[in-house]
Amino acid sequence: MAIGVLFGDLVKALFTKPATQNYPFTKTIAPERLRGKLVYDPEKCVGCMLCMKDCPSNAIELLTVDKINKKFVMRYHPDRCVFCAQCVQLCRFNCLNMSNSLWEMASTTKEAFEVYYGREEDIAFLLERAAQPGINEPPCE
Amino acid sequence: MTEAKKEKFIVPIGPQHPALKEPGNFEFTVDGEIVTDAAVRLGFVHRGIEKACENRNYTQDLYLLERVCGICSHVHATAFVLGVEKLAGVQAPPRAEAIRVLAAELERIHSHLLWFGVAAHEAGFDTLFMYTWRDREVVMDILETLSGSRVHYSVNILGGVKIDVDQKLSDLIKKDMDFLEERTEYYMKVVTTDDTFLGRTRGIGTLSKDRAKLLGAVGPTARASGVKRDIRVNAPYSGYKEFPVKMVIDQTGDLEARFVVRLKELYESYRLIREILEKIQPGEITTRIKRKIPEGEVISRVEAPRGELFYYIKSNGTEMPDRVKVRTPSLCNWGTITDVAVGHKLADMPMLLAGIDPCFSCNDRMVEIRSDSQPSQMMNWDGLRKYGIEYYR
Repeated sequence: MAIGVLFGDLVKALFTKPATQNYPFTKTIAPERLRGKLVYDPEKCVGCMLCMKDCPSNAIELLTVDKINKKFVMRYHPDRCVFCAQCVQLCRFNCLNMSNSLWEMASTTKEAFEVYYGREEDIAFLLERAAQPGINEPPCE
Repeated sequence: MTEAKKEKFIVPIGPQHPALKEPGNFEFTVDGEIVTDAAVRLGFVHRGIEKACENRNYTQDLYLLERVCGICSHVHATAFVLGVEKLAGVQAPPRAEAIRVLAAELERIHSHLLWFGVAAHEAGFDTLFMYTWRDREVVMDILETLSGSRVHYSVNILGGVKIDVDQKLSDLIKKDMDFLEERTEYYMKVVTTDDTFLGRTRGIGTLSKDRAKLLGAVGPTARASGVKRDIRVNAPYSGYKEFPVKMVIDQTGDLEARFVVRLKELYESYRLIREILEKIQPGEITTRIKRKIPEGEVISRVEAPRGELFYYIKSNGTEMPDRVKVRTPSLCNWGTITDVAVGHKLADMPMLLAGIDPCFSCNDRMVEIRSDSQPSQMMNWDGLRKYGIEYYR
């Protein structure tokens, strides 16, 4: 039986560095395997759509520009993503990867959470088509 | 005066943050300071996960079920994966099974240290709480370095695991295990010798072996009362066949015994992790599994940090399961609270609640009890509409 068994630790703590971090000013280096934001490489993609099919949170939309010439654009929603890396696991052509550098996710606008990956001309083509009135809209009833 | 004596005085605790930061309602009938009756009301965090499983495919369910609990996410995924693999007739490679056990034991360390801190906090011993949570960061960092995420490790996939351990990681883990073992020894000294802390734990909430058996207690709560109940030992699954664990038993059954059992389990986890890292065989970590799971039903049991976790999976031969039933260990342990609370001071209740390491959002499932004498309470939309109109007529 004793009182104040933890007292020794308290005294020791006076001479050690704080366990906490001054976060926005000092940042730890993310571990190598950290599952951060998804990165897509359109050059290797064959459009099997498995990533889209098995995504548990519907964070991936793979849009087909030209199926024969294998032109795809990925619309990725980091706000929906649960960072499970299932898509990375499924992709047989290594088009998908999770980056360990992009992990801080805060934004005041919604646009930051709609990321387009693909060849520039394909993205431009898709965005242009989406901007045209009457093409993607459902008919009025 | 005699009339007033017959009246019951009920102290409601919760649903907002009773002892722990999760919702649950407790009603303690008190006579002065002594609790004479206790009742638990749950279901404030029912999320409909079981139903949601039915319209997602098996891979998506894996990640959904991982989110049943934020503390023991890996065991939920393991239970589901083991069940689905059994249905599909697929056996994960030995290396994958060892890695599953490795992640499960790391998770047990983090869960027990988390509980230890919370329990110390409930006792008003915030210094201990801060120190344990600081040390818990060590194991959280290991999990992050190993799997890539601090909370939802997502180690499992159907037919294997995602991650592999290399020599560098293995050295890092071993070094951290040494540090944690040293700290755990120190904490063991604190909980067994510190007078002020023992005042809150020794001889409080004693659950006898017979009562524990009768009430169906599981996990460390049961083991602290001398009940030999550990799925890792009773029915070894996955890598526990190759890497057996010793069951930690205490006969006292009070709160102190629960602290001791959990801390001793930490030693066992450290030992097992070192053993796995030493003896793990090189090889494949995944096998192929078909997207469509053959028709059938399966029961899968694993030992979560809080006790036995039970999964029932029914497949109808498609890509989606027909039914997934989850029973978490916290649900089994609630009965012990209402039993043990009687005769104790109201002031002991937070410690008693924390003593079983409850996880509220884990255990909230809907159960419909059907009896022959009463008609079913289930309604479809039309029935409900009709009932509403009739009620106000």
